[in-house]
Amino acid sequence: MNYAANLMSIMPVLIVLATGMIVLLGDACSAQWRARRWYTWGFSLFGVLMALVQAGNQLQTQMATTFSETAFAGSIVTDSFTLTCYVILLITALLAILLAMTYLENRNLNLGEYYALVLFSTAGGMLMACSNDLIVLFVSVEILSVALYVLSGFARTEEKSEEAALKYFLLGAFASGFLLYGIALVYGGSATANHAGTTNLADLNLYLINDGRPSVLLMCGIALLFVGLAFKAALVPFHMWTPDVYEGAPTSVTAYMAAGAKIGAFAALMRVCSALAPIGEYWLPAVQTLAVLTMFGGNILAVVQDNVKRMLAYSSIAHAGYLLVAVSAASVRNEQAHNAAMGAMAFYLMAYAVMTMGAFGVLIYLSRKGRDLQTIEDLRGLARTDTFAAYAMLVFMLSLGGIPPTMGFMGKWFIFSATLQAGQVWLAIVMALASIISIYYYLKIVWMMCFQEPERPEVVEHAVASGGVRATIVLSLATMLVFGILPGALGILLNAAETTVFRP
Amino acid sequence: MITTEHYLVLSAILFTVGTIGVLVKRNPIVIFMCIELMLNAANLTLVALGRHFGQVNGQMYVIFALAVAAAEVSVGLGIIVAIFRTKETINIDEVNLMKF
Repeated sequence: MNYAANLMSIMPVLIVLATGMIVLLGDACSAQWRARRWYTWGFSLFGVLMALVQAGNQLQTQMATTFSETAFAGSIVTDSFTLTCYVILLITALLAILLAMTYLENRNLNLGEYYALVLFSTAGGMLMACSNDLIVLFVSVEILSVALYVLSGFARTEEKSEEAALKYFLLGAFASGFLLYGIALVYGGSATANHAGTTNLADLNLYLINDGRPSVLLMCGIALLFVGLAFKAALVPFHMWTPDVYEGAPTSVTAYMAAGAKIGAFAALMRVCSALAPIGEYWLPAVQTLAVLTMFGGNILAVVQDNVKRMLAYSSIAHAGYLLVAVSAASVRNEQAHNAAMGAMAFYLMAYAVMTMGAFGVLIYLSRKGRDLQTIEDLRGLARTDTFAAYAMLVFMLSLGGIPPTMGFMGKWFIFSATLQAGQVWLAIVMALASIISIYYYLKIVWMMCFQEPERPEVVEHAVASGGVRATIVLSLATMLVFGILPGALGILLNAAETTVFRP
Repeated sequence: MITTEHYLVLSAILFTVGTIGVLVKRNPIVIFMCIELMLNAANLTLVALGRHFGQVNGQMYVIFALAVAAAEVSVGLGIIVAIFRTKETINIDEVNLMKF
């Protein structure tokens, strides 16, 4: 494969990176550009749309040929799972950029770097989805995370935001230590008498198929690798940073972080788990334990929160648990169940991204000048004072809680049936029980909004009610309902696994 | 005779020391140095294994890891400086606005 073909296969990532650099340079070099924030915003939006078109095109050819190709000497793979993750991440970035502008202006934070950092971390997440080599995975995890460390401290004169950045940075760097050491041990542990070790996932998969019993070194490596990724994906018991970072970071960053980082982390986890599937009996119990802990931990801790952002943080942890159930179902040696679980995962990632962006979008919509909306109490009687926001929030809460006819329900349903197909009945039951707990705290918000009298009955003028925020909410709302009723329309997502490289 | 096993044991010890340091220290800069120790333990493993296998891969991975670590240092120190400007302290026991 020649150089140009290599570059072509990661074209969407390159477009996003190039846009990020142009935005950063334009902002730094041109006073005229700096004076009009609108340029930065518009150009980032344009770049993401271009990348989206390119990814969509590639996905279409992919679907026609069901052909998965590797590039850069096998370290990057472009298959339909990769391209689906690209599309989901780009949609997330699109919504994040739409959300940001007026919110940042109201907090005096509207700097060009914001958009550049969002674009860079999107590129990192996209590389995570296409990495076929552990070292590419490591580098792309860091591209995603380093940009997010800066973003979470973006309100750099506010103590809370700084604290969030420090906590995220220290724990994130700690996790990368585990990740890198895990990769080093896998490199050593996958060696045989005649073959050197490898970090390439396809080679690793082949090695495990041919040479069934993993060495102790390899097992340690896999364990450390999982710890590192679990930190990034915020799984219990590695979730401690999540609520603090989500609370402290500016809300538009929280929205992006909640969706973008999770999509990247789970795409990577899915790749690693599919490669390791031949020795599933060694690590699958650990993943299932993590899934149970994450679902219950996230949901139970969310019940006691009275800060909305913290509550959504714990709820995002619980959603990571549901996604981990899909990972577990995809790791069995049953092609049908594997494909169903991959598709369910892609669908759920899409649903999760849209409903999280929507819910945080409503919080941004409601934030007063200079002050973020904080407690659940702040939402009291919202249905009287701001009907649009209240009903939008209602749909997002129902969707997060998994109540039909929303996308959240369909996503849970797909994961549930894939888990049953994989023969992990107990895990499916645990998942259903955990999501029953979650309905309590989602409905608590609905109850506060719709069945409580507002403190001040007059209609409040909101400082932020820009077109961008409204557009985000309406777009998410429409996606949520349309694909909740007609999930088949997203057949592309459900077929995400058609051409993936590894067959368990 | 120093074999590859010696290097692996040494890096395991370094990694453990780094991990314990992260857990017990209270100054973010020292914590970050401990994290660097963990990363360098991984680098040492990669270099030793690369040499053991007679491959250049291990050495190349270390270059990637170093570049990433350098990027992390610059961001991390930036965050620590920003905190010092507002709070006049960087002790992580006093950076505790948000709990549970």
